[in-house]
Amino acid sequence: MFDVVRHGQSSFSQQFGAWQRKASDQDHSGKPVIIAKGLLLHSTPAVPGTLSPVLRRLLIHTVLFLTGLSLGLGLPWVWWLDREAERRFAERQWTQDSRIYARPLELYVGRQLSLEDLILELERVGMRVGDPGRVGRFRQQGTRVDLHAPAFRFPDQDQAAQRLRIALAGGTIGSLEGPSGDSIALVRLPPAELGDLLPAGSDDRTLTRLADFPPLLVTGIQAVEDRQFRHHHGIDPRGLARAVWTNLCRGALVQGGSTITQQLVKNLFLSPDRSLIRKLNEAIMAISLERHFSKGEILEAYLNEVYLGQDGAQAIHGFGRASEYYFGLPVQALDVDQIALLIGMVRGASWYHPVRNPERARTRRDFVLGQFLDTGLIDTGQHDQLIARALDVATHRQRRQRPNAAFLELVARQLRRDYRDEDLRGTGLKIFTTLSPSAQHAAEQGLARGLNARERQANELQGAAILVEPSSGEIRALVGDREASRPGFNRALDARRSVGSVIKPFVYLLALAQPDRYTLVSPIIDGPIEVELPGQPTWQPRNYDDISHGEVALMDALANSYNQATVALGLEVGLPALYRLLGQLGIETGDEQHPSALLGAISLTPLQVAQLYQPLAAEGYSTPLRAITQVVDADNREIGRYPMRLRPIREEGALALLDYALRHAVTEGTAKGLPALLRDDPGVRGKTGTTNDRRDAWFVGYTRQWLGVVWTGRDDNAPAGVTGSATALPIWAEIANALPFSPQPSQWPESLEWFWIDWPQALLASEDCPNALAVPFIQGSHPTVLSDCFAPASTSSRSRGRRR
Amino acid sequence: MNRTPAHVFRTTAAITLLALISACATQPPAPTEDRSIAEQVRAPAAEQARGLQVYPLRNPAVTELSEAALAAEQQGDLDQAALLLERALRIQPRDPELLQHMAEIRLERGEWEQAESFAARSFDVGPRVGEICQRNWRTMALARERLQRYDGAANARERLQSCQIEPPTRL
Repeated sequence: MFDVVRHGQSSFSQQFGAWQRKASDQDHSGKPVIIAKGLLLHSTPAVPGTLSPVLRRLLIHTVLFLTGLSLGLGLPWVWWLDREAERRFAERQWTQDSRIYARPLELYVGRQLSLEDLILELERVGMRVGDPGRVGRFRQQGTRVDLHAPAFRFPDQDQAAQRLRIALAGGTIGSLEGPSGDSIALVRLPPAELGDLLPAGSDDRTLTRLADFPPLLVTGIQAVEDRQFRHHHGIDPRGLARAVWTNLCRGALVQGGSTITQQLVKNLFLSPDRSLIRKLNEAIMAISLERHFSKGEILEAYLNEVYLGQDGAQAIHGFGRASEYYFGLPVQALDVDQIALLIGMVRGASWYHPVRNPERARTRRDFVLGQFLDTGLIDTGQHDQLIARALDVATHRQRRQRPNAAFLELVARQLRRDYRDEDLRGTGLKIFTTLSPSAQHAAEQGLARGLNARERQANELQGAAILVEPSSGEIRALVGDREASRPGFNRALDARRSVGSVIKPFVYLLALAQPDRYTLVSPIIDGPIEVELPGQPTWQPRNYDDISHGEVALMDALANSYNQATVALGLEVGLPALYRLLGQLGIETGDEQHPSALLGAISLTPLQVAQLYQPLAAEGYSTPLRAITQVVDADNREIGRYPMRLRPIREEGALALLDYALRHAVTEGTAKGLPALLRDDPGVRGKTGTTNDRRDAWFVGYTRQWLGVVWTGRDDNAPAGVTGSATALPIWAEIANALPFSPQPSQWPESLEWFWIDWPQALLASEDCPNALAVPFIQGSHPTVLSDCFAPASTSSRSRGRRR
Repeated sequence: MNRTPAHVFRTTAAITLLALISACATQPPAPTEDRSIAEQVRAPAAEQARGLQVYPLRNPAVTELSEAALAAEQQGDLDQAALLLERALRIQPRDPELLQHMAEIRLERGEWEQAESFAARSFDVGPRVGEICQRNWRTMALARERLQRYDGAANARERLQSCQIEPPTRL
């Protein structure tokens, strides 16, 4: 567990020495006071000579009896308390929350980053507007941001607090400099803390070694709480007497007489009631701790144990966590006034609470600053300056919000799958995840605003949204409720809904994988079709617009989402093949196979849909979607890693053709409303999905940078008046408009060739034919019949060319 | 409409589509002599690095991470090297050099399937000629040999030869 001794001691004596020198006028040479003996011998003296001999003898016997009794009972009691105090202090186990962190924002020149996103990321880290000379502050001037990032212990590297100057230019980082104007290639911001794993009602702390506390905190706490700490042996009679005297003079309880050791004993071992017996036990155990442990160990334990308020149902223990909670900073980064505020709260964390009772807290802080001045820890100039400062508390941390509830749920499930419960709770794990706070914000806002704008009546619809980085499978955002911070049903993970036409690309993929039978321009019949089913009524699928479109090109059938054509094609490639493909892509489906699955009569969660589309967006490399990248223990030792894993999908040619067809759906098909809704279209591929009676609306869209899934519908699965193109697609666009997109280079697989194709009948053409369109084909599968306008000189194929 | 339900449930026997290369089985750790397996990939390619070479533009941040990964690798800290490469890949997910370096790290760790996958991805997004192309195919060949897929390994060795040819002219 936590090693108190070795790391604590040297610096403790140094720090203590510093205070000691400054406070030498307060110094007393402490002599050992053996209170235990005094207490035990207290009842022996009797007053002789005034009582009759009988009475006197009776009195002597009584006194002897009582002495014997108290010795007989008291000594074992003292012995037992001494042993208990030693054992329990040595064996104590701090509970420490397991913390979940967002992905750290990597800063480097050329990174796409808007000013709003940068500021949002800084705020999520816990930084605030202010003088960047102070740790944890940033200042924005135009498109320049000056900041002072707090320190953070990354698993692979201890990163010190540092000043940075960022200049944004045209939506990217134009320059990144250190304090002296030196340019920096790469730096990570500390990751935003998303939440924790501990169940409510427990203690929370951030264990800190004595040497890691700021010296002023270590000396200041002694100046305020126990000036004789260095010298006493657990209890301090003079301090007690002074406290009593001061309290009598002021007529109020302004000073307590308990030493730091006594306070620690009380916090660690004893009940909070105020009885004389408890006071006695406290004193005995305090002396015992002093006998067995060093001052450094005791002070370190005290600084990590003292109660400093409440975070919802969780008690905040110790200055490490209190600093993070109240100021959003590691304790090392605290300024003098912040240290004074926290030290003041030791006397009563809710009475002096800086948010609930700001005036009282401020008076108390100023009193503590006065004590710092008295003991020479600060000078008069500093004191006057600090007194003038307002309380400076990070208000967003005051209420335990769960803004990332849906994502944290996913993280918790993954951890529970891989670790035992007792290994996760209270052990101070650090869990590094893939969440991007700015992407999450975009997804939450986009879903909420989009639903508000498109529902028939207020709060009728619900929805879910997921954003994934395709090539790594890292989940950047996950929203399971239109009100993202509301805990409860997590639709992104748990709403199993009909997927509708969102399934169709996989039917077409199966066809395109047989280049000798199908190409993008193969004619398919979109016409009335009847499917005989054993023991069931004949199935007669119809089109969305109830029109049969006759002979259509395969890529047009997909782009326009024709049902009859898709069923015809699906029956050709075979239903079992579709189920097999879904299984290979990691999606569990039931045993029952019904041809209506070809039109998406399969219930999947939004997360499963994202998993299905991931290899399409990642150019044929499948990887399991990940929310966690690494888990380390309290000492930064790695205990779990979730590395990037790739599985190539064999038919990369077919995947590239499908990619082309899904772009075709955005430019010519059911998703053609999309480009107009986007700020600028980075070449999105996409597929809409609408289920029977407009119960569910889906849109899945992707580029090489982002894969996004949006679902909307009603929780009761009633008709909701939604469609993929009119409801889900605009929400997707709204989210995408808040994300950084850039055109990504892309290469077609080696096996593809491009040809000019003439329409409406797919014939080989040349570039100058009026209707010609460049279409990719797997080598050798292109049409060979020439169009009338074919001009041999100007044709024709190019292989391995760059994408348009 | 000349379709009849006669085609219903016609089994298409040979659909190998998406026969994913394999499940993610854990691999036995690399034997000690494989510590230098990455060198078997790099050294010959570096020697033959003549003819057309294509090096993509590097972001200095990526350069810094990839150099740190190389240093970690040379100190034998493959975990750290993989971590740094993943960070770099978050910045440039389609950088063939990073993907190939990751393939070589996986090779050293004895993760043959992952080594093959990363090398294949590097080839897909890479120049498909020159030194990196050779390292791609050499990695795939070595990984396939370890996986006892000797035909595949032979294919990879054959494919390796065409890394040297003149690049295709692009339209």
